[in-house]
Amino acid sequence: MFIHIFRYRLLTLLRDRTLIFWTMIFPVILATLFNLTLRNIGENEKFNIIDIAIVDDAGYQENTQFQQTIKELSEGEEAMFNLILIDEDTSKDKLLTGDIAGYILVDDTMKVVINQSGINQSIIKIFLDQYSQTSSAITNIIMENPSAMSDVLSEVDSREVFSKEVSVSDAKPDSSLTYFYSLIAMACLYGSFFGLREVTDIQANLSNQGARLNMAPVHKLKSFLYRSMASLSIQFVEMLILMAYLRFGLGIDFGSKIGLVILTVFVGSIVGIAMGAFIGAIVKGNENSKVGICIGATMTGSFLAGMMVGDIKYLVDKNLPIVSLLNPVNVLSDSFYALYYYDNYDRYILNIMILIGFSVVFCFITYLILRRKKYASI
Amino acid sequence: MPVFKLCLHIYKKNIKIMIIYFMIFIGLAFLFASSTQTNEQKGFSQTKANIAFISKDNSPLVEGLRDSLEQVATIIDVPDEKSAIQDALYFREVSYVLRVPANYTEKFMSGEDVLLEKTTLPNSVDAIYINLQVDQYLRLAKIYMTSTDIDVAALAKYVAEDMNITTEVEMIQSSEGSQDQSFSMYYFNFMAYSLFSVLILGISTVLLVFNGIDVRRRNSCSPVKANSMNFQFLLANMTFSVICWSIYIVICVLFNFKNIQSGNMLLFMLNSFVFTICAASISFLIGTLVKNRQAISALANVVALGSSFISGVFVPQAILSDSVLKIASFTPTYWFVRGNDLIASMTKITGTHLNELFGFIGVELGFAIAFIALALVVGKQKQLSAES
Repeated sequence: MFIHIFRYRLLTLLRDRTLIFWTMIFPVILATLFNLTLRNIGENEKFNIIDIAIVDDAGYQENTQFQQTIKELSEGEEAMFNLILIDEDTSKDKLLTGDIAGYILVDDTMKVVINQSGINQSIIKIFLDQYSQTSSAITNIIMENPSAMSDVLSEVDSREVFSKEVSVSDAKPDSSLTYFYSLIAMACLYGSFFGLREVTDIQANLSNQGARLNMAPVHKLKSFLYRSMASLSIQFVEMLILMAYLRFGLGIDFGSKIGLVILTVFVGSIVGIAMGAFIGAIVKGNENSKVGICIGATMTGSFLAGMMVGDIKYLVDKNLPIVSLLNPVNVLSDSFYALYYYDNYDRYILNIMILIGFSVVFCFITYLILRRKKYASI
Repeated sequence: MPVFKLCLHIYKKNIKIMIIYFMIFIGLAFLFASSTQTNEQKGFSQTKANIAFISKDNSPLVEGLRDSLEQVATIIDVPDEKSAIQDALYFREVSYVLRVPANYTEKFMSGEDVLLEKTTLPNSVDAIYINLQVDQYLRLAKIYMTSTDIDVAALAKYVAEDMNITTEVEMIQSSEGSQDQSFSMYYFNFMAYSLFSVLILGISTVLLVFNGIDVRRRNSCSPVKANSMNFQFLLANMTFSVICWSIYIVICVLFNFKNIQSGNMLLFMLNSFVFTICAASISFLIGTLVKNRQAISALANVVALGSSFISGVFVPQAILSDSVLKIASFTPTYWFVRGNDLIASMTKITGTHLNELFGFIGVELGFAIAFIALALVVGKQKQLSAES
């Protein structure tokens, strides 16, 4: 019996092209689009060598100390500036056309000319500040203690390091991953279309097929379970295809705990199908409005989990933690995040428990509604 | 005008789903518009990075370091727990975490090798920026420490005085006062997604109904002339497109009242109108190709969302890679967005700018004509094959 129902259910569902489109093709397309547009989003915060100009006048030519300092910073592997020496009018033109971030006028006191505020301009200013600050410190010391001259100069020239990098995680804090993780979570919850379909097809008042099935001498719960297993199989395989595409096609990093990642996807698929069944059972109305509710719930969840704007997830996590915990999309994407970024499993285990809790609640309520239904007339 | 009325009736039946797309649009547009509103100040302001400063040592030296960091950074409280620090870095609440180990001052003053611990985003500009300041402060402290014989409090005072020296900054402005066009730019760019989806859903559905074989046979034997029927059909679709377009425009004008007198707004309207024609003609093509309603909503998502993504509607074109933009240039959305970006960047409307803009609009018109032609050819072929 199981094999019979399971097999025909598989065939029926696989032939529903709309269903397959939304649950598999659409997430794959969305992932491709995310990959095309979001992978470079981190480039914004990377350091790029800053183009600057120095006005090549008498003031600059006389100040050999400054020449040496700025040359050190414009050469070699870790250069900060890309320096050109030109006259003031050309500098101004180049500044207005955006070829340089700013230009420096060397005189008794330094001056920097810019046309907007920004991080590059701030770095130029800080560099000049430091040059003057160091000069002032040297003057102070030598006035008090002329014999310290050589000590001071050697200390100034030494490129001593005062801090060391301590990493908090082996994984890179790549914020574009939030988008992909919440996309996977969304795809899991799109499994609700399967759950919805199962309930619609088994309730006598919702579809003709359901009416016919209720006449059949098969236990309704058994029949429903077998059919749902067909749904779950398809959904899980679809998710594996999506994950394989993300991992091998697009090179998204899930960390090293692949087994647990796949377990999460499996639990996520169950939550998705259970949610769909729950919505199908509890909401009165036609199928279109139920589909609308599934999409609406998933999309709202995805938004709060950071699929459209990555920062939203963090904002909600910090300010409304209860909303985060009750949002299955967020709990799912948070599981991937915890597996990728954390060394311990506390957060991951909490997330999985919540997901299992969701499934149990959804299934139980669905069960209460579906069982022993009798119809006076349909 | 029975055909015209029928079209309107079909539109009315589909209004719910269109309203959903419209509401998503309004939500997104305002979200992005509000997140991009910056307080444009006159003159220079030092950029501040967000950092966390965790100190296990309390001394004038550490206090001084903290004060001097406040010149270049906003210090954010992050609990001293590993997971909190991890989260804050991952979600960019802070881009730099500096930790002062216990007894740091003591070791520093006695000349021992002791290092601050920092956690940064790899290769980030913020890390370099903050490092400059940290190193400068400690280098000055070290200079004073090695060459004079003073205590921590005096040392911190000297360094603080030196650190207060700043450089003169001159800000030169491009001469014209510019109006803030960023709201309009985001608004019109988002329109490429929303209006496109609404038009596909509306127009394709009408076409689907009219192309149904029974409806077509019934229509062919009705006492309405084919010309008149086609004319009414076209008129209905044009009316629908123009009404949708004007709703978007009216809302933009309402919310962006202070900028409407500018010529830029007129250009935005022109650009979006041509795009509307283009989107309508694509919808026409989709309507002739699809076989059922479910396919329409799938296609609406793929075509409108896909082209918007790669054309820089959600993520600015400047961030997209060249190869993506090359692909995107085969969609009208790309030229529409380029047009909007250009209009937003115009502080003064000049002939060269206008020439460039009309170039973009011309490409959009070209797309519109091409798609309409394609739709007519496909439609005719289908009709012939169905009749034979």
